[in-house]
Amino acid sequence: MRIAALILVSLAAAGAPTEPSRSSYVVIVHPETPVSRLDRKFVADAFLRRKTRWPDDRPIRPVDLGPDSPARARFSRETLALSVASVRNYWQQRIFSGQELPPPELDDEAVVSYVLSHPGALGYVVAGTRLKGAKVVDVN
Amino acid sequence: MSRERGRSVPKRLLLLVPAVVLLAHRPAAAATLSLREGVPEIDVHGFVSQGFLLTTANDYLADSSRGSFEFSEVGLNFTVPATDRLRMGVQLFSRRLGSDGDYRAALDWYYLDYRWQDWLGVRAGRVKLPFGLYNDTSDTDSARTAVLLPQSIYPTRNRDFLLAQTGVEIYGFTSLGSAGGLDYRLYGGTIFLDVKPQPGSPLTVLDLEVPFVAGARVLWGPPIDGLRLGGSLQALRLDTDLLAPGASAPITVKIPATLWVASVEYAVRDLLVAAEYSRWLVEAQSSNPAVIPGGSAVSERAYALVTYRTRPWLQAGAYYSLLFPDVEHRTGREAVQHDVALTLRFDVNAYWLIKVEGHYMHGTGGLSSTLNGNRPLSSLVPDWALFVLKTTAHF
Repeated sequence: MRIAALILVSLAAAGAPTEPSRSSYVVIVHPETPVSRLDRKFVADAFLRRKTRWPDDRPIRPVDLGPDSPARARFSRETLALSVASVRNYWQQRIFSGQELPPPELDDEAVVSYVLSHPGALGYVVAGTRLKGAKVVDVN
Repeated sequence: MSRERGRSVPKRLLLLVPAVVLLAHRPAAAATLSLREGVPEIDVHGFVSQGFLLTTANDYLADSSRGSFEFSEVGLNFTVPATDRLRMGVQLFSRRLGSDGDYRAALDWYYLDYRWQDWLGVRAGRVKLPFGLYNDTSDTDSARTAVLLPQSIYPTRNRDFLLAQTGVEIYGFTSLGSAGGLDYRLYGGTIFLDVKPQPGSPLTVLDLEVPFVAGARVLWGPPIDGLRLGGSLQALRLDTDLLAPGASAPITVKIPATLWVASVEYAVRDLLVAAEYSRWLVEAQSSNPAVIPGGSAVSERAYALVTYRTRPWLQAGAYYSLLFPDVEHRTGREAVQHDVALTLRFDVNAYWLIKVEGHYMHGTGGLSSTLNGNRPLSSLVPDWALFVLKTTAHF
């Protein structure tokens, strides 16, 4: 009973929202990637490494923003349907069971550089970031 | 600012585990060994856990009625993505849980993984067994809310038998279009077991081997975010040679077992709801039934759990777990184990967490007679509680 009461008190004290304010983002790919539109499910599967290849068999190289980025919170929520913390748990499961490794986590400018220098790369950055030729794709 | 690429790591990796997870001030999840140019980088991850168990009555998993710190785990893994299709990995693991484990580091898993296409990959080596939703991740304290997974389906004391097999696994993921996606794993191999002394047991184990283990898991992700439905099937046989008191020759006992579990999980944003139902058929075929009788039993196992993260640093979870060791005998305290658990998980930072967990237990079917002075389970206290405290650092 005491533990149950502790849980209730902690939950009440913690309140509702779990993540900071969110900012908009754009999904980008390497300029040679022959796509202009991607299905949201495809993007989610690529970031969770369920899908590892583009339709032309080129490897998908997902690249993430750091966990504190507001755009990461929004991307995780809208595209992966998970909170950033839940995505971290997902990767803990994969890492320590000997399956996949998570995408590298970079800041916005480094994501752009990574996408430009890695054919098959798939990333996202805060809207307004200088893209330097990285290709923006629509996600629906 | 890169999280994991291009960082150099000192050579004393074992010393690095606690140092990195406790002292680093970055939102890290990995370290990376940068070798010579042209040589693939090595991803390094690790964890250190220490727990405490206390029961109001009965000894559970350890000498818990007096309070036990014999609940320690250390893991360190290395992964090398050699090419975009080929990876190699190895994990060292050491643990102590009551009389199980002796702090010696052992190879927990190791593999060569060739992922030819998304729908077809092959792993060879010692590979975690995909049974149910969480068996292959049951060592990973940082990946879940509860300290103890529902013990009806994920019995911690059966870790040596149920966690990994040495052999081959075929796996894949295929999109089903508007019907979602299918994740599948098929495996076959063996399990290498050490013969351990059984204090208090009248039988001496001379030999123990698993000639085969085979199985499959299929998880269907329908076109509803976060929903997974699936089933797992596993078959194995345990062969053992036993020496009974006063017997002149060893007795061979073959124990074929068939296990299946049906699973459902809904994980969206910060909410996780899961339930599983399982039955295990275990037979015993004895070369000397007069001393060690043969027979069979079907056990029934089920649980339902819910967890919710209210803040990035706070998660709460609850589950109800049910075990009938023999479906033909459902009466008596020893014939059932009800387990109601409540957990709070505090993520102090990105690489250190603390968990507090309480269990109300009814029944003694999940207890070990050996751990309780070889007293029959029917004589143990039927209503008891378990308190668990655990902290884990990981990177």
